Amino acid sequence: MELSVEALGGLQLCGDSAHVSDKAFIVLVRRVCDNLLKDSTDTSVLDDEGLSNVDRAVLKLCFASLVTLVLEAAKHDSDASTISTILEDCKFTADRIDILNKIFISKKPEIQALLSNIGHTPPHIVDVDWRLDFYLKNNHVDKVNEPVYMVTLKTEEGGQEETKDVQFACSMEQLQDLVGKLKDACKNLEKASQL
Amino acid sequence: MLLLLEDEHKEHLEFLTSVDLEVVKEFCRIAMEFIRKGPNLKVYHTAAQKLDVNAEAVQHVVEGLMYLLTECAKLMISEIDFQDSIMTLGFQEDLKQQLVQFYLENRKEIRAILCKMSMDLPHYHNLEWRLDVQLASRSLRHHITPIVTMKLHTGDCETKEVTVLQTDAVNLLHLTQTLQQALDEMKSSHCRRIVRNINK
Repeated sequence: MELSVEALGGLQLCGDSAHVSDKAFIVLVRRVCDNLLKDSTDTSVLDDEGLSNVDRAVLKLCFASLVTLVLEAAKHDSDASTISTILEDCKFTADRIDILNKIFISKKPEIQALLSNIGHTPPHIVDVDWRLDFYLKNNHVDKVNEPVYMVTLKTEEGGQEETKDVQFACSMEQLQDLVGKLKDACKNLEKASQL
Repeated sequence: MLLLLEDEHKEHLEFLTSVDLEVVKEFCRIAMEFIRKGPNLKVYHTAAQKLDVNAEAVQHVVEGLMYLLTECAKLMISEIDFQDSIMTLGFQEDLKQQLVQFYLENRKEIRAILCKMSMDLPHYHNLEWRLDVQLASRSLRHHITPIVTMKLHTGDCETKEVTVLQTDAVNLLHLTQTLQQALDEMKSSHCRRIVRNINK
């Protein structure tokens, strides 16, 4: 994991208790993680009471560099020791390193989940609905008499909450074919997981 | 079930009693071509000239035959019911047999053509799948996520559609199980009872 000179400069400021008090540091690290995970977007970091005695310009720099650190660490799946090494170089005290590691490690899975949603993927199937009809007749043909399944695949795209539907009909034979192919895929997936 | 013929329809078909059996065969063939490809006026004229009658009469008899065949095929009328339905036309035995024979030979094809004309919903055609393991992306390195990417082919008579979808292991299993349940439902006593009663 490599950080830019700007980010490292910001971290150095952040580790300096003359600029950021111990109390403010905890608040700041929490805010960094929460903001990334959009847990609290109602107030801006600059308006946070716990950070009121930190200089505005310093606060901005510290926030930006901590966000960079957290994202890069999550991206590379860094452990506490890697982060410690970087922070030690930025003159962080052992206490502060501990605090940051503790908060970061607890939030890491969530941040990584967020990162994994970035980028383009085909619609992801999350559920399926089906309906079974018996097709009797239409205006051209009488006594068609065959079962018809209406299948609706529910899909999610790009981490959006709304699902989109993919709909199609299939006869008994076609559904058998579909299920057969899906079972084949399941079996192969299981085999691959045992490698 | 009997097909009730209207008077006008009967009049048109009566023409068949005045021609040879070979000609009836030819008319049946032309009626079948009508069902397959639509009307061909040129054939009517040629036939009319050969038989020395007016083209309108030929057109009426071909259309009458076509209507008789499609209606009977639509209702899936049985051999005996077909015989009884055309009884009212007062045809001779060999002519009647000829029509019955022709009807039975072509019923399946006519029904297939009619089915093609009916309203259809996008149908499942094929599913292709492949198994990927995502290893890294720009925003996240070092992960191992198995992904099943699928290509779903659907479509009706005219249009074909391909949808690319993906899913994970848990959802794939859920999808398979749910659709298997759907298949099993057709074998349930409720469904079997209904189907048996409809098919009676």
